[in-house]
Amino acid sequence: MAFESLKIEIIGNVTLFDLIVFAISVLAAAIIAKVVAIYLKKSLSDRIPPKEMDFLIRVIQAAIIIVGIYLALPSFDINLADMLVVGGTMGLVIAFASQRIVSNFGSGLFLIAERPMKPGDSVNIGAVSGTVEEIRVLSTIIKTHEGVYVRVPNEKIFTSEITNFVANVARRFEYTIGISYQSDAAKAIRIIKSLLDDHPFVLRHPAPSVFVDTLSDSSVNLRVFIWAPSRVWWSVRTEMLWAIKKALDAEGIEIPFPQRVITFARDKEGPSCSGTQGDGAAYGRP
Amino acid sequence: MFGIYKIPFQTDAAGITVSVEVEGETSTYRRVAPRETLTKRLGYREGRVIINPVEPVNLPSEVTGMIEFHFTPVTLRPSSRILICLKFPVEIGVFVGADENYTLLDVFSLARPKYSLYGTPENGFITRHVECEVFESAPPTDPLKEGVLFLAVRNSGRDWVEVSRAVFDVSALRIFHGRTVAISGEMEVFSRLVAETRVLDLPPEEGMKQSLRVFPTKRLLIPEKQPFMMEYGVGE
Repeated sequence: MAFESLKIEIIGNVTLFDLIVFAISVLAAAIIAKVVAIYLKKSLSDRIPPKEMDFLIRVIQAAIIIVGIYLALPSFDINLADMLVVGGTMGLVIAFASQRIVSNFGSGLFLIAERPMKPGDSVNIGAVSGTVEEIRVLSTIIKTHEGVYVRVPNEKIFTSEITNFVANVARRFEYTIGISYQSDAAKAIRIIKSLLDDHPFVLRHPAPSVFVDTLSDSSVNLRVFIWAPSRVWWSVRTEMLWAIKKALDAEGIEIPFPQRVITFARDKEGPSCSGTQGDGAAYGRP
Repeated sequence: MFGIYKIPFQTDAAGITVSVEVEGETSTYRRVAPRETLTKRLGYREGRVIINPVEPVNLPSEVTGMIEFHFTPVTLRPSSRILICLKFPVEIGVFVGADENYTLLDVFSLARPKYSLYGTPENGFITRHVECEVFESAPPTDPLKEGVLFLAVRNSGRDWVEVSRAVFDVSALRIFHGRTVAISGEMEVFSRLVAETRVLDLPPEEGMKQSLRVFPTKRLLIPEKQPFMMEYGVGE
């Protein structure tokens, strides 16, 4: 009796038995894909970078599942040529019915082809800033610098300005360092250049540049331009600034607070009351 | 210091001490170099340790697989070939394992690393920067600090050309060691902008041993690319 019920046609000539065979085939393909993924991870994880490994696994898993579905289709007694025609028509219907999804899908394909970013890159897309975790067909996953998961639809990414901080192999950053008017700017430049020369990741070419940029209200401003490999630029930036500060302190070069010289009108008549005061605030009676 | 050691052992040279001491079922790796020390616990008490020079792109951390030699300019006439020697800094690798299966345990160096950019930030390469003089024959070196690149430079172009840069892909680098540390390389210059470099699999002197490399132990599946096409110039 139970066996008879398996032969009942549910959709067209497709019986319950056909459906079960199809489901088992697809499930088996999915299990095989999972097992293969685990095996690949175990055996190749030390030989292929993680991001490339994820891509490779996904391609292999998709191929296994497609083969599983292909092998299961005869159980439906379906002609593949007919299915392509039906699939094409269905595709058009689905496309009209779900334009946003199709738009995201198309944008995803363009993103994959154009490759403005890849997993692992540090990027800024609209208001989201972080590291690209995964580029999917419909959306892209960003892990913000605070470690928060953000899913951005590909359509939005495609129409947004993308800033990729590590797309180029090297990048430049800069500091402005103010020293007092009494300090020797040439000596400060020598000290900074020597530090830059010592750091392995401050690139030799393009050479770093240190120069007097402006004579501002409270300090002589030195500008420092540094090129570093994009992969390590942030650590170089944080290390070098403090190293420069310590080296200038050690050589007696003052990094002054903002200050202003105030001369009271009474000074012209009596004893001098002029002096310096922090942050420009002036108190006194003329 | 270069050679194969059986655990436990201790070797000292030029202010560097490398040792593995057995403690019960495990052992402890210790390296004392002039600027830093390193201690690692090993989960075994038997095996072999290989110490040899490795590709000089690992310190302070790996950011590139290219090495760039900047040397005193050498002018070549068309269709000419010369052999020059260049010094390069040595990084010392410590591998542990048995039979043919070794893994990298430590890399250290007595030389100060410096990196550079060959080409443009968009399409160029980060390179380990080596600034050196040109020698007609192998200069005397301390093998723990410096090695010698024997470089055959050929001008295949139709014009005179001044060469002062050579960039190599270290994934194909073969380092040999014996009394000295050495690499053999070739550079074929096509114009002032384009040249091709390749590293040879031949020891420059007889009796030299080939070093165990860091790159193949890390990335066996990435095919070795050689030769390397220099497209951003061979001079300043």
